Amino acid sequence: MFVFNRLKATEEPKEVRMRRIGFLILVFGLFVGLSAGAQTIDKVVIGLAAPPRTMDPHGSDADSNLSIMSNIFEGLARRDVNGTLLPALAVSWERVDPYTWRFYLRKGVKFHNGNDFTWEDVAFTFQRLKDPGVSEFLATGNLVESVTPVDGDPWVVDVKTTRPVAWFVQNMHQIFIMDKESTEARSQGEVASHPIGTGPYKFVEWIRGDHLTLVANEDYWGGPPPVKKVVFKEIVDSFTRLAAIETGTVDIIQDIPLELFDRAKANPNLLIVTRPARRGMFLGMKQTPDYPMHDVRVRKAIYMAINVQELIDKVMFGHASPAAQIADPPTVGYNPEIKRLPYDPEAAKRLLAEAGYPDGFSVTLKAPTDRYPRDEETAEAIAKQLAKIGIKVTVDAKPKAIYFPEVTHHDVELYYLGWFDGAYSAMRTFTKLVHSYDEERGFGLFNAGDISDKLLDYLIEQSDTIVDPDLYVEWSQMTNRIAFEWKVVYIPLFYLEDSYAVYKPSGIKFTPRPDTWMTIVDVIQP
Amino acid sequence: MGAYIVRRIAQGLLVLLLVSFICFVIFQYMGDPAWALAGRYATPKQLEMVRKKLGLDKPFYIQYLIFLKNALRGNFGMSFVSRLPAMQVILERLPATFELALMAMLIAIVCGVGLGVLVSVSPHSPASRLIMAGSLIGISIPTFLTGILLIMIFAVELRWLPPFGRGEVVRIFGNWRSGLLTWDGFRHLILPALTLSSYQLAVLLRLTRAGMMEVLGEEYIKAAWAKGLPQRAVLFKHALRNALIPVVTMIGLQFGELIAFSIVTETVFQWPGMGNLLLSAIFESDQPVIVSYITFVSLVILSLNLLVDILYVFINPKIRYV
Repeated sequence: MFVFNRLKATEEPKEVRMRRIGFLILVFGLFVGLSAGAQTIDKVVIGLAAPPRTMDPHGSDADSNLSIMSNIFEGLARRDVNGTLLPALAVSWERVDPYTWRFYLRKGVKFHNGNDFTWEDVAFTFQRLKDPGVSEFLATGNLVESVTPVDGDPWVVDVKTTRPVAWFVQNMHQIFIMDKESTEARSQGEVASHPIGTGPYKFVEWIRGDHLTLVANEDYWGGPPPVKKVVFKEIVDSFTRLAAIETGTVDIIQDIPLELFDRAKANPNLLIVTRPARRGMFLGMKQTPDYPMHDVRVRKAIYMAINVQELIDKVMFGHASPAAQIADPPTVGYNPEIKRLPYDPEAAKRLLAEAGYPDGFSVTLKAPTDRYPRDEETAEAIAKQLAKIGIKVTVDAKPKAIYFPEVTHHDVELYYLGWFDGAYSAMRTFTKLVHSYDEERGFGLFNAGDISDKLLDYLIEQSDTIVDPDLYVEWSQMTNRIAFEWKVVYIPLFYLEDSYAVYKPSGIKFTPRPDTWMTIVDVIQP
Repeated sequence: MGAYIVRRIAQGLLVLLLVSFICFVIFQYMGDPAWALAGRYATPKQLEMVRKKLGLDKPFYIQYLIFLKNALRGNFGMSFVSRLPAMQVILERLPATFELALMAMLIAIVCGVGLGVLVSVSPHSPASRLIMAGSLIGISIPTFLTGILLIMIFAVELRWLPPFGRGEVVRIFGNWRSGLLTWDGFRHLILPALTLSSYQLAVLLRLTRAGMMEVLGEEYIKAAWAKGLPQRAVLFKHALRNALIPVVTMIGLQFGELIAFSIVTETVFQWPGMGNLLLSAIFESDQPVIVSYITFVSLVILSLNLLVDILYVFINPKIRYV
């Protein structure tokens, strides 16, 4: 009896225990299975509108190229889907004095060839940026005076600049760090076709004109990326790109042309994703004393005579959003308080009369025909709107190969242009667009209207010496507001729109980045 | 014959010189590539540095002479965009274009000559009239439209064939990747080859028909009929052989054209060939690639023309070159 009892007592718990273990295994297995299913994607195929030009991360500053490079390479910093600057190969940074940026480097990072990431790679990268034979980042490269470890600590480096640069770190997400050893050891042809980075994806093959294949870097310091294989297919023709996603040959495409937008939207298999583009479109004006636009009242009159909502609805088919400044929201110096001047042709006429032009005047508006969506049409529409307040506008639209040299030679009266800042800095944009022309420093190169305002020049130059980051933001916002509300140096029109289509049956969740980069770890959620 | 060939080669070299010179003249009006290469935030000094590095600071005739000097040594310069040797960038695209042109030519020959013979036998039948009307469409519809229509019908609506690209390729030798040897690659080839062949097919059809009609009226054909030879023997053995002489010439000349004019087809189908490359090179002012492409294609066309002229002697012994 006792024995029986004992047996029973020991047997029962054993059975229960077994069941419990079995149950636990089952639950664990389910958990692992489910989480594996939910967290990894075998393959994503992306249809690119603008193909990569080179696999050299310094060989092209076009967003279409940086977009691809951001999967293979990393900068000292990176940006997320909101455009926020975050640590990457540097864990943190500080500005020690106006000339010095201090970076604390990430330890234990390896390049895809197994080499360790060290401060020497950082020094090598900045040196390489200066070489016009390989780099399109000459401006950034030539800003760097030296890169040296601090107090012999190889994980802390000071980057000294040739002049104070407040936005230096804001640019670090697009300066990709290269491996010194393998870059120096290989020919430029090799380097430009077989990239070796530290990023979440490794290079597999690139058949130019066809496709680029990347695989997940399972040893990535940030953990193995959830998408295991990425194929970027080049499909330059917009009709073919749409056909490709309609047939499910690709999972995501970039850039739906305005003419095919309705067709894409009508397709139940496609999810259309749009967001305001970073590029702000605006009207520039010649502001030397011999032009009517020298008078701020005339500039305001032109501003108030333009019905921007009509341009957006009728010319852009609704695929644009009004802008009150050139900078877009993620840009440092974007000021949400800046408001557009109201559309008021009557008030505009009064301003013209006050300025001494009651009968208006004649002026030429230059625009490109092949650079921005519906660029020529926009210029034509603006001409018609300005005619209503007596300004006789002749539209002179021409191919960008002819138009842009005219802009850089400041050979314009009114002109239509777009701009966004790759370093997310309104003040850097202002050095090119607003500061008076200064060949030596490269200021005002695109200031085709010859704006020459002592106050703005001073505010722009001083901004770079401000070490306190909060003060720098406020200073930039103030300068921005003075330029657009008070001085009206440009007439902001609208932000363009980025568009994407996702093939719904693929089940992929997609979030676009402001810079249009296809950084897979950011834009695709498992 | 020998003297003739030497003379033709000399003429060809002159044409090459002229063509490349015209390229350099056009470059003067194509926009400054230094802008794109220095980056938007470059200072004028940095721009000048880039121009110097690329040799763009020199007057264009000096640039041209430097190009000639290097080209004679087989060096066609570095692509501004990919920063790789320009000729290498072009030649790695050659297999794709060659296979596309070859397939298009095959379709054009088989269908063009076949239908041409068919139409010539009974020129007034409704079927013949339909075919002739169809050939007019082939000649008059622009290539990009043919391409778009084919994609719409066979890729998007029917889902029979892939809409773009080259599909699976296998490396045969060196860097020659072929799409002809895989089923997937072959499927990708059908639509672009049909598009590219549509014009040539119509031309060959009309040429064959005209030749056949003429030959079928000859005495020796009547004699062949009178002998009681079967229709197939009369048509293909006696008539077509003689009607083909101008057709063969045309085929030779057209093959060069197919390679040169595949630009539109390659763009619509995102075919990774040379034409596709040329278009993006023009878009990005990649001068070394443009001039290398034009030189290469001119060379192909000139060689094919010469080859056709020489072959002509063998096909038609009545012809003598002095």
